Amino acid sequence: MDPLHAPFEPVTLAIPFFVLTIILEIGLARFTTVRANYEPRDTLASLAMGLGSNVAGLITGGLAFAATVWVWQHRAFDIPMTAIWAWVLLFFLEDLTYYAFHRLSHERRFWWAAHVNHHSSQHYNLSTALRQTWTGGLAGTWALWLPLAFLGFPPAMLAIQKGVSLVYQFWIHTEAIGRMPRWFEAVFNTPSHHRVHHARNPRYLDSNYAGILIIWDRMFGTFVPELDAEKPRYGIVKNLNNFNILRVAFHEWAGIAKDLAGARSPGEVACYLFGPPGWSPDGSRETSASLKAQWAASQQPPTPPQPGTRS
Amino acid sequence: MLIQLAGSFVAVIALVALAAWAKIARPMVRLDADRARDLLGEEFPGKPLDDLWVATDGRGALARSGAWALILSEVGDGYVARHIAWDQALAASYCDGVLRIDLADVAAPRAHLALAVWPPQAVR
Repeated sequence: MDPLHAPFEPVTLAIPFFVLTIILEIGLARFTTVRANYEPRDTLASLAMGLGSNVAGLITGGLAFAATVWVWQHRAFDIPMTAIWAWVLLFFLEDLTYYAFHRLSHERRFWWAAHVNHHSSQHYNLSTALRQTWTGGLAGTWALWLPLAFLGFPPAMLAIQKGVSLVYQFWIHTEAIGRMPRWFEAVFNTPSHHRVHHARNPRYLDSNYAGILIIWDRMFGTFVPELDAEKPRYGIVKNLNNFNILRVAFHEWAGIAKDLAGARSPGEVACYLFGPPGWSPDGSRETSASLKAQWAASQQPPTPPQPGTRS
Repeated sequence: MLIQLAGSFVAVIALVALAAWAKIARPMVRLDADRARDLLGEEFPGKPLDDLWVATDGRGALARSGAWALILSEVGDGYVARHIAWDQALAASYCDGVLRIDLADVAAPRAHLALAVWPPQAVR
């Protein structure tokens, strides 16, 4: 096998599957009691983002691929594409890399700006899965996969495994599936786990970053289970007020630019760029941490008056 | 590549048409005070509502919570919420029964609420 050219592209092969399952989900919601909501303008925004993402990938994908090839040419080990052990090892390492990428993309604003569009729908259906980034290549998160190339995994292997991960994550963007068998929920990312990830309820913020395996969230303390008593509310903390795809794609970048223009010190510049989303110098904006704290405080029962004190 | 893009474009149009035909968006009903309170409670946990004004067309609401104005406005089959300083809400442009609020937010620059009167009589 050619280490530089993948013999197939999992995402391209899966496109007919994407289309057919969206048709199925809409049909089931229309004619049965299966839960799925599609707002046409929201659906158009999601699918247009997916289409635009392919075009954006053509522009920035070349740089990422060239960097991957260059690093692989300076690799530490020779890893054969034909060895089963190599694919098994790559499956775990790529999925761990995805976890790191995804966590970074939520917890630091510069990378959140490239990822936020995926969360900007107030719906959670299979079309939401295709609401992909236009600016991920510019944000440079592809660099997180370079250590795998340095280890010796050929660029073609990396491309295939990244594609497999993306295809896997398509089917979990649905409310039509409740919960999978317990053993599956324990090991794999599922619709239930990923609904939590897309929720903006304070309880669920910044959790379940998994790609294929949910074990990473369990290991690193970011796992939050879906509660029947608290249905996820989807979208972002500050939702968009229309379906304009340019706003979907670029609103956080525009917000960063506006903040940088008003920054008063290098420290503020750094924090506006690389602090948590919602960071502000005076703390007047809300971060995930402050929202969780407000919510936790609102859940506390009122403290009864202590004996001997006035009420 | 061009054929693939053209095919994808056709598929997008077909899927959106199917979604429109299916009519499976969330059912939206006019906001009333109870529903507005519930939604604002979800959006702003822990913030007590001192006063509430529901839009006359039922498509939004504005509440006062201390020094803040909490704003809820309809978009598609959902809502967008923001908070701004109460004084800023009081100073918002009001014309022909519509309050136009500058939210100073790239993601949601303005909110329009149909209100019978503004500012409210009690705080004029």
